[in-house]
Amino acid sequence: MLIEILQQTINGLAIGGVYVLIALGLTTVFGILGIAHFAHGSISMSGGYLTYFLVTGQGLPVLAAIPIALAVGVLLGLLVEMLAYRPVRHANHINAFIVALGLTMMVEGLNLQLFGHEQVVIPTGLGRIIRLGGITMPELRLYVILAAIVLVAAMMIFVERTKTGQAIRAVAENRDAAILMGVNVQMIPLIVFGMSTALGVAAGIMVGALFAIAPGIGEGLVVKGFAVLILGGLGSFPGAILGGTVLGITESIAAGFISSAYKDVIAFVVMILVLLIRPQGLLGRAP
Amino acid sequence: MTGIPTRILWVFALLVLAALPQVLSVKYYLHLSILALIWVVVAQGQNLIQGFTGYVSIVQAGFMGIGAYSSTLIGLHFHWPLWATIAIAPLITALFALATGYPSLRVKGHYFAIVTLAFNLIIVIVLVNYSELTRGEAGISNIPKPWSGDREAYYYFALTLAAALTLLAAMTARSRVGEIMLAIRQNEDLVAAVGIAAWKYKLFAFVISAMYAGLGGALYAHFQGFINPEIFGVAQSLDAILAVILGGSGTIAGPAIGAFLVVFLPELLRFADGFRLILYGLILVLATIFMPIGIVGIAKSVAARFTPREARHG
Amino acid sequence: MPKHLLKFAGTALALILAAGTASAAEKKLTIGVADALTGGGAVYGLPQANAVKMAAEEINAAGGIKAGADTYKLDVIAYDDKANPTEATNAVRKLIDRDGVKYILGFCCSGSTSAVASFIGNEKAVMLVGNAAERSITTKKIPNLVRTRPPADYTGAAAGTFIARKGQKRIAVLGALDVGFYAQYVDSVEREIKKVGGEIIAREVFSLKDRDMSPQLTKIRGLNPDAILVVGYVEPAAFVYRQAVELGMNIPRYGFTSGSEEQFLRVTTSEQMEGVWDLRPTELTLESASKNGVAYHANYTKKYNASPSPSSPYAYDQVYALKAAIETVGKAEDTDAVAKALRTIPVPAQVVMQYQPVDGKMFDANGQGYTSNGAFQWQKGKWVFVEELPSDSKAYSQFLSTLQ
Repeated sequence: MLIEILQQTINGLAIGGVYVLIALGLTTVFGILGIAHFAHGSISMSGGYLTYFLVTGQGLPVLAAIPIALAVGVLLGLLVEMLAYRPVRHANHINAFIVALGLTMMVEGLNLQLFGHEQVVIPTGLGRIIRLGGITMPELRLYVILAAIVLVAAMMIFVERTKTGQAIRAVAENRDAAILMGVNVQMIPLIVFGMSTALGVAAGIMVGALFAIAPGIGEGLVVKGFAVLILGGLGSFPGAILGGTVLGITESIAAGFISSAYKDVIAFVVMILVLLIRPQGLLGRAP
Repeated sequence: MTGIPTRILWVFALLVLAALPQVLSVKYYLHLSILALIWVVVAQGQNLIQGFTGYVSIVQAGFMGIGAYSSTLIGLHFHWPLWATIAIAPLITALFALATGYPSLRVKGHYFAIVTLAFNLIIVIVLVNYSELTRGEAGISNIPKPWSGDREAYYYFALTLAAALTLLAAMTARSRVGEIMLAIRQNEDLVAAVGIAAWKYKLFAFVISAMYAGLGGALYAHFQGFINPEIFGVAQSLDAILAVILGGSGTIAGPAIGAFLVVFLPELLRFADGFRLILYGLILVLATIFMPIGIVGIAKSVAARFTPREARHG
Repeated sequence: MPKHLLKFAGTALALILAAGTASAAEKKLTIGVADALTGGGAVYGLPQANAVKMAAEEINAAGGIKAGADTYKLDVIAYDDKANPTEATNAVRKLIDRDGVKYILGFCCSGSTSAVASFIGNEKAVMLVGNAAERSITTKKIPNLVRTRPPADYTGAAAGTFIARKGQKRIAVLGALDVGFYAQYVDSVEREIKKVGGEIIAREVFSLKDRDMSPQLTKIRGLNPDAILVVGYVEPAAFVYRQAVELGMNIPRYGFTSGSEEQFLRVTTSEQMEGVWDLRPTELTLESASKNGVAYHANYTKKYNASPSPSSPYAYDQVYALKAAIETVGKAEDTDAVAKALRTIPVPAQVVMQYQPVDGKMFDANGQGYTSNGAFQWQKGKWVFVEELPSDSKAYSQFLSTLQ
């Protein structure tokens, strides 16, 4: 019994890491720029698809393909910000959301046209199984969890310790005061989108390596990402980290001990419960 | 634009639609027109919450599903007459909307949309998995059709309902409730500051829009004779949003025009699905950035250009 | 009469006679295909549409369909239903109302097919169903519908007999059990293994988009099964096979997934797949194919520059069945008679799938055809056809007739 609980917890950590990265990307854009970047999931998958293409189609080693995919992904994110979101930044927020919906459809359509309907898996060649007591874990899962931890730590350091990071937080707290303090507010959206997309593409590559990328998976991830946002608290980075991890493990344990049929519903039920009981989420600020 | 020419336009449109079955020689286009009329009902509902109140809801197709399954299952198990099951479908949908609206409307714009999308996903998952009740993914066949499946009769039935519900939407828009809904869209905080309980009006709009969808779903079920969970998914809810945006968000004619476009466009544009998605997404993005007024808005500004100056400013 | 005038008269007479016989004898029969030509279902639907077109061309080249005094050349119109029920209804309505088509073939996917089946009984048309697996399509006693592909639980019964003979008693199931025909397959396996004292100890579910089965597999691992049965579409199912190995499970794995080597190797290594069974309809498998099957494979590959999908012959065979039925009746316009004739014809010589006729007929009283089932095993990177599964078409046909 204990072994099973432990195994399910470890099972949930890998997907939890993916949820954390996606949620961080979402909360960055939402908390600082106020945009519900619904297209985040699909753009993240584009990064994964591109990595797959570079590795299998062009023969690049995985470690070389990853930075290229990250760079291209970030460029796509910046383009999206400049061409699609910037024009509606001062309009009604509903317009920004519809633009996000339209963008999602476009990126999904682009992925379909370029990469087709069949699922793709990024080959990594990492196939060993780690055994500890009754617990087994494929090494790739361990690397995904470690990579997620490293990326999250890097992001936190960037936001807390660097000048740019502090500038971003300043703009989020009080945009006008930030301008008065000499912060270059024009650059902020670009930096924020760049950071968010980088995290998303990393998540997409992890999903592609550990599981698979296929049409529709991006949308499912972004909805769960928003569920994590609501669970953890809007605009809270620690909330996103806690929420993502909790969601991943909860899904795993619930599927293992209650019912696997309704596994996907758990995220949504959690989201609705949070809204009813504690709308600011676990670590968000009270309204 | 003055009121009189608009009313003439409406009557004219109604006459054209009424004459359609007599004029169409190919029955296939009648079939599509009935689908379009059903979508007019759904799109008018979407417009109430999205166009007027300013809350994008991504669950309209899910509510269609609730209406469709309610009407079908009550007829199947309790043997109520068709009229009764179609009439009760929007009421049952209203109950679901109350239950889902209450937590959703506690949060603003973007969150609301995500939560409604989650509800749509939940609705589909439950429809698929609760197969003891819904027969699951295989769907329900042989749903009874009124008038033994006579399409012309069903066309007039759908036209009557679509026209009546469009009129109802117009009346709502012009009422005090409608004004408050519009005010919420413009500036919700201001509405609250004036002392109005905005959440009541938001919930009202959400429930009414769900009732429209529920009726649309029941109409669909008794027209097609077959339903299954996959046709009530998020992709169809996006079609409802597209219909409202294309036609003209916040207008009365807009959703009607958008509904016909959404049904007939795929007939005219036979593309690979990836390309179609890109096109629809591009339309949504461009329409929102450049043309937030939709086709109706464009038509109005074109008409304004041709109106003599005195009439415009007089 | 002057010689040149005689020649002229002779030629004119010959021409008139030729034209006369041609207009009396050769007509055009337009048949329709409603199938998933784009989208996720296209992997099944497009090859079916191609197969119908190829069969039509072959029939035309061989002289067409001879119905009474007339000869019909086939013309094919194919509409895309995107595997969507609403679109499928639109496509068939267009074929019937606008294009005047009476014979509609194809139908790869269950949802869209069920939508059309629910109204086709009222039409003056005949519907020939292919790959769609939903059982209730042939339990509703629709007189003008036939299906070449057998319901999944027909294969399940055969698979259950096979597993029972292998000796494992405690089987855990992990599959797309929200889909009716997969659940029915499992139920029929259960019926067979119960006869030898076996039982199904778990029924876990994965959804179409699920790729992480480790929670379900961990739960199954804790129950200590003798074997695991995986039913579902290949894309998620491949992950089950891989993650079972990753979780240290070393028990026999049976499956009902189909899927090419390439589709599996995207997800797993060949070693992880070693020994996995696929208990499914034999369909088009080159190792066990008939002469027709080999020729079909070669012709299709040449014509379309791609291999035919294993299930595409379900549609190819529809065309030859239709031809046989029309030639039996002698009239191409009488859809009621052709529909009745379809339930009387023996298996035509040109079909590719290997049918198991009931009372000598290709389709039973339900309009259902039965094709052979096989046990395939993954051996060193390839699916190997090991043996035919013991199937009883007559018994299943009687069972099917009792259902609603």
